[in-house]
Amino acid sequence: MKFIESVKKDFNTMTWVLIPVAIAINVVMGQIVVTLRLPVYLDSIGTMLVAALCGPWAGALTGTLSNVIWGLAIDPNAFPWWPVAFFIGLVTGFCAKGGLFKNWWKVAVTGFLVALTAAIVSTPIAVYLYGGITASGSSFITAYLLQTGRGVFESVFSTNFLVEPIDKISTALLAFAIIQGLSKRFLARFPRPENVEIEEGATRTQLFIAIGLVIVLILIAAFVLVNFLG
Amino acid sequence: MQERLSFYVKRESPLHSLNPLTKLFIVFGLVLLSFISPWYWTPHALILIGIIPLSFFGRVPREFFRVASRLILPVSGFLFVMQSLFQPGGTNVLFSFWFLTVTLESVLYGFANAMRIFVMVSSFTLFLLTTHPSELMSDLTRRGLPGQFAYVIISTLQIIPQMQAKANTIIAAQRSRGLDTESSFRKRIGALVPLVGPLVFGSLVEVEERAIAIEARGFTSTHTKTSLYEIPDSTVDKVVRWGLILLILFTFASRFFIVSS
Repeated sequence: MKFIESVKKDFNTMTWVLIPVAIAINVVMGQIVVTLRLPVYLDSIGTMLVAALCGPWAGALTGTLSNVIWGLAIDPNAFPWWPVAFFIGLVTGFCAKGGLFKNWWKVAVTGFLVALTAAIVSTPIAVYLYGGITASGSSFITAYLLQTGRGVFESVFSTNFLVEPIDKISTALLAFAIIQGLSKRFLARFPRPENVEIEEGATRTQLFIAIGLVIVLILIAAFVLVNFLG
Repeated sequence: MQERLSFYVKRESPLHSLNPLTKLFIVFGLVLLSFISPWYWTPHALILIGIIPLSFFGRVPREFFRVASRLILPVSGFLFVMQSLFQPGGTNVLFSFWFLTVTLESVLYGFANAMRIFVMVSSFTLFLLTTHPSELMSDLTRRGLPGQFAYVIISTLQIIPQMQAKANTIIAAQRSRGLDTESSFRKRIGALVPLVGPLVFGSLVEVEERAIAIEARGFTSTHTKTSLYEIPDSTVDKVVRWGLILLILFTFASRFFIVSS
């Protein structure tokens, strides 16, 4: 019962009103990125905002409904991917709860963890529903890996792993920049303002740590990938 | 600019007058059947004897084929081509060139997969063409879905077009003062901040006002709310729903039977 109580506390009126706006931000950002022809999606900024400000379950709900609405209104192909969005919200929420949404390099770590989760969750969907090759452009990498004689799971996961981190880390950083721009008074009305209390420190040093950390993380993960799957 | 964001086409038809939940059952029924059936030609048959007749039954064939050719066919076509080219395995080589070998198995596999995706997406499309979102939401709320979910879905469908309009205004305004949104990659990344900033902050400011407004209208009240519209739920609806459940169970059972025998 304690669990349900704590989840309920995260859903106050501000949360319920923020969720539609966050979903709209997801959708419209996805379209702006297409207009600017950038090689990322950035379609979970809203989800990450809600997850950081209102807790993991609110984030998970935002992600799920985001995909449902994307399917309802824009492209029915979006429906089957809702578990990915669910976990993006959930993981961001838990990271924020654990204090990983307080300065630049911590946010980059959050982005990386989210990317890892997204890669893991989307792999079985791509494999079982689409037979490995989906309709996105990155499928050419998967197809190439399949041709070199690797297994379906391995190929799909490696592809996702190549594509996701850049997207999710920049999404997390943008969400953090937005939160930084909001007033403390406004943030205090959400259920978890303590998640995003910004740690003071030299911004430039933090940024360098962030970049270094991301490179190290990607190297480690690539190493693991090559050694245990390859 | 679209006023509201949905596929819905207002018509009088037997499919339109079905209960929204029944239509959801039909959608999930078709999708499940195409995925769990052990028979290879099920998805193809479902399209021919299920989805296309249903689109005529719902009097939306023209709209349906338009959406299908714009959204669904490109995706499933791409899937088919990619999978028949790159799916490894199979022994009956149809033809090969460069480093690719296309086998009969991979073509059949790709075809079935593409058709499954076609069934999935087109049955959802059909559902969306014949069901108004608020009709679906009020029916689900009546059956026990918390009102907050209905609020989120319906108000999002209203906010998105507003926000798209706002985004277009911002893009036009920033371009007119010389923001570069079309040249080099670095400039386009740089353009992200002056576009996203006003849009996101502008819409977040409204959140607080809206929270106070709906709070004042009893949003968090736990009493049962009455609805202005009655959504019919006839015997036909119930029969269709139970029929579909039985059909799915039967297909599932047949799968196990065929595998074990």
